[in-house]
Amino acid sequence: MNFIDIVFFVYTFVALYMIVLMIIIYLSNRGRMFNYPKGKIEPVSIVMSCWNAKHNIGNAVDRMFSLDWPKDKLEVIVVDDCSTDGSQQVIKEYAKKYKNFKYILRKKNSGGAATPQNDGIRIAKNDYIAVADDDSFPESDALKKMIGFLQKDKKVGAVTCSVLVKKPKKFIEKIQAIEYVVISFGRRLLDFVDSVYVTPGPFALYRKKTLIEVGLFDKDNMTQDIEIVYNLMSKGYKARMALDARVYVDSPKKLRGWWRQRVRWNIGGTQTLIKYKNKLFRNGMLGLFVIPFFSSSLFIGVFGIGLFLYLTIRRVIATYFTTTYSVSAGTALFSLSDISFNPTVLNYFGFALFLLGSFYIFFGIITMREWKKRYINFYSMIIFLTVYLTLFPLNLIDALFRMAIGKYSW
Amino acid sequence: MVSSKHAFWQALLVTIALFLIGLFLGMAIEGSRLNTIEDFYAESEISLMDILALNELITTGNYSCQDMIHSNLLFADRIYEEAIILEDFENAGQLTDDFKLAHKRYDLLRTFLLINSEKTRELCKGNFNVVVYFYEQETEDLAQRATQNVWSKVLFDLKQKKGADVILIPIAANGGLHSVDSVVSQYDIKRFPVIIINGQVIDELKSVEELEDYLI
Repeated sequence: MNFIDIVFFVYTFVALYMIVLMIIIYLSNRGRMFNYPKGKIEPVSIVMSCWNAKHNIGNAVDRMFSLDWPKDKLEVIVVDDCSTDGSQQVIKEYAKKYKNFKYILRKKNSGGAATPQNDGIRIAKNDYIAVADDDSFPESDALKKMIGFLQKDKKVGAVTCSVLVKKPKKFIEKIQAIEYVVISFGRRLLDFVDSVYVTPGPFALYRKKTLIEVGLFDKDNMTQDIEIVYNLMSKGYKARMALDARVYVDSPKKLRGWWRQRVRWNIGGTQTLIKYKNKLFRNGMLGLFVIPFFSSSLFIGVFGIGLFLYLTIRRVIATYFTTTYSVSAGTALFSLSDISFNPTVLNYFGFALFLLGSFYIFFGIITMREWKKRYINFYSMIIFLTVYLTLFPLNLIDALFRMAIGKYSW
Repeated sequence: MVSSKHAFWQALLVTIALFLIGLFLGMAIEGSRLNTIEDFYAESEISLMDILALNELITTGNYSCQDMIHSNLLFADRIYEEAIILEDFENAGQLTDDFKLAHKRYDLLRTFLLINSEKTRELCKGNFNVVVYFYEQETEDLAQRATQNVWSKVLFDLKQKKGADVILIPIAANGGLHSVDSVVSQYDIKRFPVIIINGQVIDELKSVEELEDYLI
């Protein structure tokens, strides 16, 4: 067994462990996946940051006001981060339409979502703060299914929900729709081990007092929605996941946009890991699972892509030599004898892992009751399982490179 | 909410168990492949003994050279085909080093065949060619690996073309076998891969047509 074989065996073990862990958590909690504590109606402020969203912001505001929540206990605050597309005109129109609507028009673009969100939180009059994006479309009962988590346990500092893709039409949206479903399913499983590590921007609920206590969102972080949870966890709070509450969002419609979004996520995730590195093995599940898990994922991703590049370059050089020599010797470049019909043990392990991973994804989709949706079809599933997931390590390398040279923006 | 933190060590135990089962099954698969090779080897060993006995008969003048040459050819073809299977199994083997041992034993068989073929050529003044291919097993040098890969194909093509006129004997030169080392130093070979056709050393890659010029 050589070094590369050992590395592959270690990767196999880690991947197998994570899948088995998720399966065990699911089996122990299968009857409680969609449970949520019943909450009582209390005043909530919804803070929406907006930037160049004149086509979405109106619908998003309407949606917030149509939530199944008494209108006198609902306040919507839109913070425009100096849009240049005329969003401000739309926002001003909506200010006339709704009574409990406030808006802030920032004079200078902050370059991220954290600053406008913090501005909105500061002026919010209610104790419960829901943070939403300018294209969020929560289901009407989302708030009702989320607020109980905060009311029943004072140690809960944040609540997230299932973030799903709104009406996926393009192929790239369908692939992301599958991904979002699987992520929501997985996040709920992590909830059972107190390891929800992000409360995504599209719709998350907090207590204003807690947010102020931890210093609000970090404006220097590219993923303030990850950082805030690490921050809360480091101060003894937990984040919870309301799987039955759903919010729909627009996902990137082009590969370029998708790539930029994922680069931002990777940079933000890495920034957060660096910021909280001292919490390793401390502060409960933050130091015992969340930080070790994401640090090792980062290392495994980078090392894996390095190994992949090394093996690929070797293969290319070997192919070059073989081709050159074959041509000079006048023999066939490729023959049937070059194909091996004897799989290695690692091939078997890889195949078993692929099956287990696919099973996990299918199961997540079925559990989330998304199985019969039109975007789930043979092609989208195959591309998701074989091509889409392999892009992640490459994106990570791009993100780390941009971080290293300091060239990145929202 | 009841936490499921015990899931971490449960998952670890299950993963270790699954991993060990996987390794055990892997070893069973490799073991079964090794058994196949061992069966081939046992039969090849009998064939070699048969040829050596035949050789003794010829020296007493009680047997025909034609049969001797034919036996050598059949044996060479047989262990050449087995070598291809062994190499395939060897490349797919990751858990045990038993295939390396099997490879060494086959190299010894091939060395016996080489010695016997040379003897037969001498005794019978036979009209056949002995092509010996010395290579290095598991080399990390990419150029050398590519050269060996191409040599294997060229020699395969040569054998396909010439059939019974050629006894093809591939031997790994870096197996640490004294007999092989001795043959290598006898021909003063310094680098691999190298071909010896009827006693002539060729260390440059050649086409099938060019190699045919060395054949009788």
